[in-house]
Amino acid sequence: MSRPTDLVQGTLDLLILKILALQPLHGFAIGQRLRQVSGNVLQVSDGSLYPALHKLEHDGWIKAEWKPTENNRRAKFYSLTRPGRRHLDKEAANWDRLSAAISHIVQIEEA
Amino acid sequence: MTVPRWCYRASMWWRSLGQSAALDRELDEELQFHLDQLVGAGLARGLSPEAARREALLAIGGIEQRKEECRDARRVRFIEDVLQDLSYSLRTLRRAPGFTTASILTLTLGIGTTVAMFTVINGVLLRPMPFPEPDRLHLVSLSPPGVLMSQPGMSDRGYEWFREHDRTFQHLAAFTTHGGNLTGAGDPAVIAVGHVTSEFFDALGVPPAVGRTFMPDDGQEGREQVVVLSDHLWRIRFGADGAIVGKQVTLDGIGRTVVGVMPAGFDFPHLAAAWTPLVIRLDPGNSLLFPVLGRLKPDVTVGQARAAFDALLDALPDAPPADRSGWTIGILPLEELLVRDVRRPLHVFAGAVFIVLLIACANVASLLLARAAGREREIAVRAALGASRARLVRQLLTESALLSAVGAALGILLAGWAVPLLLALAPAGRIPRMEMIRLDGWVVAFAIGVAAATAILSGLAPALRLTRRRFAGTLLPAGRPVIAGEEQVRAALVVGQIALALALLTGAGLMAQSFVRLRAVDPGFRPDNVVRLSIELPESVYAHPEQLHAFHQEMLARLSHVPDVVAAGVVNWLPLGDLHLNGDFTIEGPAETPRFNVDKPTVSPGYFRAMGIRVLRGRAFDEQDTASGLPVAIVSRTVAKTLDPAADAIGRRVSLKTRPGPQDWLTVVGVVDDVKQLGPSQASHPAIYQPYLQVQQRFFLGHVSYVIRTASEPLSAIPAIRNVLRAVDSNQPATSIGLMKDVVNAATADPGFDAKLLSTFALLAVILALVGTYGVIAYSVVQRSHEIGLRMALGARAPSVLWLVIRRTLMLGAAGVVIGTLVAWLATRLLASFLFETTPTDPATFAAVALIVLIAALLAGLIPARRATRIDALVALRHE
Repeated sequence: MSRPTDLVQGTLDLLILKILALQPLHGFAIGQRLRQVSGNVLQVSDGSLYPALHKLEHDGWIKAEWKPTENNRRAKFYSLTRPGRRHLDKEAANWDRLSAAISHIVQIEEA
Repeated sequence: MTVPRWCYRASMWWRSLGQSAALDRELDEELQFHLDQLVGAGLARGLSPEAARREALLAIGGIEQRKEECRDARRVRFIEDVLQDLSYSLRTLRRAPGFTTASILTLTLGIGTTVAMFTVINGVLLRPMPFPEPDRLHLVSLSPPGVLMSQPGMSDRGYEWFREHDRTFQHLAAFTTHGGNLTGAGDPAVIAVGHVTSEFFDALGVPPAVGRTFMPDDGQEGREQVVVLSDHLWRIRFGADGAIVGKQVTLDGIGRTVVGVMPAGFDFPHLAAAWTPLVIRLDPGNSLLFPVLGRLKPDVTVGQARAAFDALLDALPDAPPADRSGWTIGILPLEELLVRDVRRPLHVFAGAVFIVLLIACANVASLLLARAAGREREIAVRAALGASRARLVRQLLTESALLSAVGAALGILLAGWAVPLLLALAPAGRIPRMEMIRLDGWVVAFAIGVAAATAILSGLAPALRLTRRRFAGTLLPAGRPVIAGEEQVRAALVVGQIALALALLTGAGLMAQSFVRLRAVDPGFRPDNVVRLSIELPESVYAHPEQLHAFHQEMLARLSHVPDVVAAGVVNWLPLGDLHLNGDFTIEGPAETPRFNVDKPTVSPGYFRAMGIRVLRGRAFDEQDTASGLPVAIVSRTVAKTLDPAADAIGRRVSLKTRPGPQDWLTVVGVVDDVKQLGPSQASHPAIYQPYLQVQQRFFLGHVSYVIRTASEPLSAIPAIRNVLRAVDSNQPATSIGLMKDVVNAATADPGFDAKLLSTFALLAVILALVGTYGVIAYSVVQRSHEIGLRMALGARAPSVLWLVIRRTLMLGAAGVVIGTLVAWLATRLLASFLFETTPTDPATFAAVALIVLIAALLAGLIPARRATRIDALVALRHE
């Protein structure tokens, strides 16, 4: 049995990119925002966020910089790079196609 | 993938490789921040600090584990990509064994020959000489106009003058070598002895391993009976005797005290095994030329030294000021002494192997392109599945890099086998500094560099072309690849290959042509059936001319009684021999003395007959030409012409002295043919011969060669000739004994070797180019099999199909020949200095090579053409 909150592999990257496209955030805030915008449907464990962030940073899609938070603590803020933006557009389009195809298949009425 | 992102990723790799500690600290802080935020949220919900902390840790799921995952995300990314590319490449290459074998074989040949040639060049030209600060070591020479010097040097007088007055060199040392007779330490042997002034070792900057080298005192008359041994000689002849210093060694019959032993590997100049002091004895009538080397003072430039020498030249004693204008001062790097004759040939060979490498790259590129066509689907599928173009290019480049790497590894093995073979086949002395030639880290680094270059050269273009396609159409099942552009690229590659191979073959053809002409040169004597025996009679035993006369008389008398001997003679400077001496001469009477030098051989009466030198007028020397007879001379044709262009030279008087006294005049009694004294490619040297019994200078009598003409096969006479020498003086070893024919062959051995080596490279280039041509034509037949099948189905006959393919081959071949001929026409002038009586644009060679290459290309196209005629129309059409 699969848990409905499991993310399709690779989609976490897409979600992170999409959230960062709106504004630069630190890791904790990204996790919060994910839960918030998905109405708590998508549960991302606090731990699994960071490897994904580091991988995206390494691939050059996002970049990080240390800045103070509103409480004046140093935190690592991630933001989208220009290639990251293009990557997001491409991935989002792919996702649209894929999800459209899947929902199309899923909606086929069984004979 | 964009360029900035690549740079960014590279910097990330660099950071994760080089600054992992800093990255770890950042990671700690980042996770700690997250933890604190979670705890803060818990506290806000009213949890106790402990409960909030526990919950936070549970949410993160193990700090250390997360850290490790983050590190992996960085590190593995890079290695993962590479490994993935590699394993994928290995799989695809394994699936195409024919392509893989052909590519690797081609690259092995290309890279292997390049690496082999680099190994030689690295050892000969690139490695510094084994002396401290070799850049400061120079050869210093001073040449009067018109005097031919076989190597840069300076007269003894000039050397003394500059040694005394120059302030730009730390040390100036004169040196020379000769074969010395070592006796009393095992069998008598001839060893190379360096004759050096006391500054020699200091100038080179090499201290002895044992004892001392020479002091200034050792260079004084009467105190020169000392010797320094090489490490090698010390080990093989004296058992590495630790107490050798102070012991006596017999060299040329003279006991000499050993003062020191040099460190292992020191054998300058010319593989010297021992060194003795060179004593400068100024002789008012003659002057000797030596090579002179100097170590520049640290802050002095070559230009400053030259200027200082120029200034000193004006004050040089014993030369009329008027004559000094044409004198030239040479300051060359010391290495020139060794590599002067080999640098240009090595550059030519390097160019040749570069061409071979280019052709090999073109072959592989062509193969990759052909393969690419078959992989369009695969690439399109991968692109559709989300692989970026950069990722695909990288994947394809990994394939060509893998091929190049294997090619380079095998190429190094090939070079490891080819270099010793090359050195073994090279004529003695052709390749200097052989001991420096070896496969080392530099060679491996070079091979890696070449492999990287070939990977890019052969792989980049196909990879870019392949991934540029519009993929959409390719995925459609009926879309047969239509690739006009690629066809053109492959055609261009073939044309380029043929052109390069043709240019190289033309160069090789010119060298071969030149070699054949060189071999056909008449040396002025007949070398067949002549044995030659060279000997160096030491001054310690044969001090007086009378002793030398007696020795030669005895030898000649006994030699003439050896069975099968037709004639025997003796000469001091054997034609094509290792030593050579010339000088000026004077003509009696009002005629101005010509400004050219003559050879001054001293010969016995039988010499001309034994050597087969034609007597053109007058007579040869005879038994009456002794010390008590009229002083006589025989002149060569050129001298006779100068003496009297119209009439007979016989009866005229000449002198070999610059300012002859009454007793110095020689009456000309005969004229003989000119002889190629220095080699077949050099102009004939004018010569004035003297009968040996009328020559009183020891210098002209001690170093001689006997020439013995036999009626039949000369080799069998050698043992008897050796016995004659042993009977006359058993203590004198022959410095060498052999056939005159071999001396003549040796004189053309270098150009012969050069021509053969260049021909080998050219052959390799042509074979590779033909393989490339074959591949392209065969591939185009496969590609057009549908069309050909259709034509045949419509009634085309075999000959017209054959012609279809042949025509294409001919067009490619002709284009290659035309371009190659142009390239060759521009490039072969670089060979001009190697060519003997052959112009670099020799039309016959150009035409012959063009024809050969065209026919060869035609043959390469014939196999696929015949295959095309056997295409089954039905099968080809069904293939649709």
